[in-house]
Amino acid sequence: MRNEIELEGIIEDYLNGKLTADEHKAFEQLRNNDPIVDHKVVAHKVFLESMKQYADVLLLKQQLDAAHDKIDVAAISAKVAPHPSKIVRILRNNKSAIAVAASFLILAMIMLYSIQSQKDVGLQQVKKDVTDIKNTQNILIRDLKNVKSPAVNDKPAKVGGTGFAISSNGYILTSFHVINGYKGSIYVQNSKGETFKVERVYTDMVNDIAILKIRDDAFKNLGAMPYSIKRGSAGIGDAVYTLGYPKDDVVLGDGYVSSRTGLNGDTVAYQVAIPVNPGNSGGPLLDNSGNVVGVINGKETKTDGAAFAVKSKYIMEALNAIPQDSLSRRVAYGKRSSLQGLKRNQQVQKIQDYVFMIKVY
Amino acid sequence: MSFKLNSSVPTDREVVLGILNNSEEALNKLYAGYYPMVLQFILNNNGDEDDAKDVYQEAIIVLYNKIKTGNFELSSKLKTYIYSVSRRIWLKKLAQHSKKSNNIADFEDVLVVDEDVEQHEQKDMQFDKMKVALESLGEPCKTIIQDFYIHSLSMQDICEKFGYTNTDNAKTQKYKCLQRLKKLFFQS
Repeated sequence: MRNEIELEGIIEDYLNGKLTADEHKAFEQLRNNDPIVDHKVVAHKVFLESMKQYADVLLLKQQLDAAHDKIDVAAISAKVAPHPSKIVRILRNNKSAIAVAASFLILAMIMLYSIQSQKDVGLQQVKKDVTDIKNTQNILIRDLKNVKSPAVNDKPAKVGGTGFAISSNGYILTSFHVINGYKGSIYVQNSKGETFKVERVYTDMVNDIAILKIRDDAFKNLGAMPYSIKRGSAGIGDAVYTLGYPKDDVVLGDGYVSSRTGLNGDTVAYQVAIPVNPGNSGGPLLDNSGNVVGVINGKETKTDGAAFAVKSKYIMEALNAIPQDSLSRRVAYGKRSSLQGLKRNQQVQKIQDYVFMIKVY
Repeated sequence: MSFKLNSSVPTDREVVLGILNNSEEALNKLYAGYYPMVLQFILNNNGDEDDAKDVYQEAIIVLYNKIKTGNFELSSKLKTYIYSVSRRIWLKKLAQHSKKSNNIADFEDVLVVDEDVEQHEQKDMQFDKMKVALESLGEPCKTIIQDFYIHSLSMQDICEKFGYTNTDNAKTQKYKCLQRLKKLFFQS
């Protein structure tokens, strides 16, 4: 017993490196010779290591417990605990995904809002349209107040627009808003610069169409109309062009039908993507086959390149309102136009004599 | 005050150097720094505050041992490492108690730390073995052994503390206790 206690003490000192060099050597000798001692050394070594680890972890745990006690667990817990409401929990757990979704949503709403507000502007225009067509639509009458014109009476015209012949004996169709509100005389000027006095024959405020008749001795018959009025409607994407007088010379505008309805779904008009300017109002809108598909009557102020044209159907309504006897060699309706098959420049060549500048004094 | 502690998360270098230098302050900072993260994870995955404490402390011990053995490389953020270890430990515990461990709500990136956690589990088993052996040793043996091996008291101190007439008696008592403890430890 006593010896065993001594041995245990020596083994411990040996493992802890507390033996002197000589003692160490002697003990190693003993260990080599005696397998029982060797076994005891190994076992004690394992035990001591386990004990040391145990001691280390125990100490660490005490330190961690001490650190834990310094923390206000309840407060943090309240912050990070799952919310009783499932929705809040989902929100918290998917913060990043929700952030992404929300930004998309906001973006979409902004876009929607901007589109909506644009529409509101359009709606307002329509409302005004009903009460007072002149102020409401961005009508394409050219203000001629300050333009020196070669008019007969040498006075500058107040407004200008475009019109086109619908019969060989001088019936000219234009937009109602071009002549509306002016009590003074109206003249038309052809591409050669000849000016003729005209009078109002027919007005249709709702469809924005007016028909004038040349009353001038200098006026000679125009001959057969090169174009015809299109029966049926134009389709989206149909190539169209217009001739007009945004300036003192005739100007060609080229584009396509972009919508079957006009401003805010107005079924009376087409929307056309065509560059138009003040002075284009009342000009004929023709397709590539030389059929008049509409009358230019305005453009959208908010959208670039969106103009409107009253459909050809309403041109016919206006034409039918004129006593048919008075129309000599009137424009054909739904027939093949003589321009069909001609190139654009040839068509323009033939048409320009039938397109007039309207000048209101 | 606790939230001030939370907001000052120590840098990773600070922690590693602090642990290598046995700095208790560094350990405290580390502990306070990442506790909310683990608490949040546990609370949101079928656990309570006590679970969070156990899991978090184990994770810190894993990190501590890894740093102490010198094979900790700062290849990832400490935060990510602690989170991953805590997560692994908690998933194992959930599985042990056959609670559902699908649909784990995660809050951080996750590393593969299976090896580290397994090593820790083996060490933890040794720890538990020693703990059980010491508990079943009974008094005064348990205290004598703890005083000598854990609190590093000399045989002289133990002799005086327990009122033995001489150190030889104390040594004999300690020897008997140790033999019993070894038996308990190695046989269990």
